[in-house]
Amino acid sequence: MARILIVDDDLDLLEGQKMFLEKKGYAVQTALTIEDGLARARESAPDMVIADLMMAHYDSGFVFCKKVREIPGLEKVPILMQTAAPRKMGFTFDAGSTPGREWMKVDEVLTKPVPLEHLLGKIEQYLSAKARDA
Amino acid sequence: MPDPAAPAISGGHGARPHGEHLATASLIPARDRDQVRVLVVDPEEGMREGIRRILERRGCMVQSAPDGEAALRALSECPADVALVPLSSHGTDGSALTEQILRRSGGRTVVVITSARASVESAVEVTRQGAYDFLVKPFSPEALVYAVEHAAQEGRLIREREKYLSEVAGERTLSRELINSMHEGVVVFNIRREPVLMNPRAELFLGTHFREGMSLADAFSDLDVSAAVEAVLESSQESPECRLVPLVIGERRLQCSISPLLRDGEAGGAIVILRDVTDTWKAEQDKNRFVSMVAHELKSPLSAIINYLNVILTGMFDDNPAKVREMLERCKVRGEALLELVRDLLYINSREVGKVDRTIETLDLAAVLASQLEFFKVQADKRRIALALEAPPGPCLVKADRGDLDRIFMNLINNGIKYNRDRGSLRLVITENGADWHVAVTDTGIGMSEAEQASLFQEFYRVKSTKTSGISGTGLGLATVRRVLSGYNGRVTVQSRPDAGSTFTVVFPREAG
Repeated sequence: MARILIVDDDLDLLEGQKMFLEKKGYAVQTALTIEDGLARARESAPDMVIADLMMAHYDSGFVFCKKVREIPGLEKVPILMQTAAPRKMGFTFDAGSTPGREWMKVDEVLTKPVPLEHLLGKIEQYLSAKARDA
Repeated sequence: MPDPAAPAISGGHGARPHGEHLATASLIPARDRDQVRVLVVDPEEGMREGIRRILERRGCMVQSAPDGEAALRALSECPADVALVPLSSHGTDGSALTEQILRRSGGRTVVVITSARASVESAVEVTRQGAYDFLVKPFSPEALVYAVEHAAQEGRLIREREKYLSEVAGERTLSRELINSMHEGVVVFNIRREPVLMNPRAELFLGTHFREGMSLADAFSDLDVSAAVEAVLESSQESPECRLVPLVIGERRLQCSISPLLRDGEAGGAIVILRDVTDTWKAEQDKNRFVSMVAHELKSPLSAIINYLNVILTGMFDDNPAKVREMLERCKVRGEALLELVRDLLYINSREVGKVDRTIETLDLAAVLASQLEFFKVQADKRRIALALEAPPGPCLVKADRGDLDRIFMNLINNGIKYNRDRGSLRLVITENGADWHVAVTDTGIGMSEAEQASLFQEFYRVKSTKTSGISGTGLGLATVRRVLSGYNGRVTVQSRPDAGSTFTVVFPREAG
């Protein structure tokens, strides 16, 4: 059973996605803060990580992703970022652009609300690619 | 008309042809313009007096002197418009005297030479010395009057020209002062793209000093600006080009307005006006940022709601109505919070544009707080939170709008309940402190770290932790409290310890009872 870690400061969003993905046969862990998310990532070494961009700070998700990649064994874990932020926040980077994503060390940026089937498709795509590479 | 009573002064005419014109009647109309002042220099008293009589009848003011020394003394007492100077006589050198008169009067006294000898040489000589005209003795009264009038006319022209020149110089100085005093930077280019004028403000903005022979690139290294200057210089009067180009120099944001300096339908140069728009730009950035934040804050609850609905619509929980109901309940809560956020945003906006109807009245703060606590009683009772109000005896008077007081304290009371623990307490204590009332709102809730307190009064800041995850809020409450208070010269501060609780203290000016 593939393990997915979702980090988001919106409890309802976490709940909804968790319920859906569990029904689809995934083992889902959730965390409301990046500290909690990192602790869970270290303990359980998830197969895939889904993170929100703007949490306590506008770039919390970015900080989180960098730290996840530093955890031994998680250097290549697929990371999906989902955000409600407008494409151009006028902040320091553009989450929608390819250089922005590379800089943020994430594989893909999805815009909230992510349709469930779309989310599922992305998860399956990355997990199968990972299985092939292994 | 020639004065028939005028004695002939040795007869004859002046050396100049104009001396033959006798239409002298209109030459010196009495008193309708400045009286002509004439100095007559002649060694012969009879000559002096004869000339005086003729000229005085024509309305001139006449003084006379027998020699050069007396002439200069007379002039120092009363300046003359016209001086009649003999070419040479006993002890007086006419050309030397002419030169002195001209120098001392600054050219304002017009000299007419009188001479017994009519020769081209002497005429040339005195003209070279600066004399205006030449009268050959003996001359008729008409010739004298005519010569004097012409000389006086020349004097008037000289004065008018001086006045005009000084006005022109004055206008130039004024334009220069105007340009130099402008709050905007001004740079003027000639057709060869060289700056010919740069006011101090432009020098400050561009970080350069104007010097002759500097180039367009010396003034503006920015390619957009120099391209716009080029385009404007190419334009004609039929289609004058004006360009607006933004320019960033260091921390400063400038708006360059470039227009042609039109001469005969062609651009004879270009004028660049530089406006410092840094403040406007910053305000715009803040506004954009705020709009981005609003968009994010609106999308988050909507995303959660739509996500739940999508889960329900998959039908995977059709066999678990309790679970579906739970999700719908959360959708309702989030939807209501969203509505509250929109209300807060509209309120903030209406305050910004000054559309809030405020009624300033004298109110008893203790009574206002008591009624607000009453409103929250049901909500507090549900979680067994004890509400208390302590106030000094007598009314605690303030001058305020009741709606504003509700905004301030209901936000704080609501927070005090929301972020409290079950069976906790919320105390409101009013104390008198100098010219202010201090209202301390103390809860026994989750409290905050110092880092969290630092950003607390910013728009959309919400303390986010596992402890606050289930609590909905707009992130605008405390920012609004701060904004409303600033309109009353009041303020709000916070003291807090994690897990111990928080005290928000509102400082509000007292109204004398």
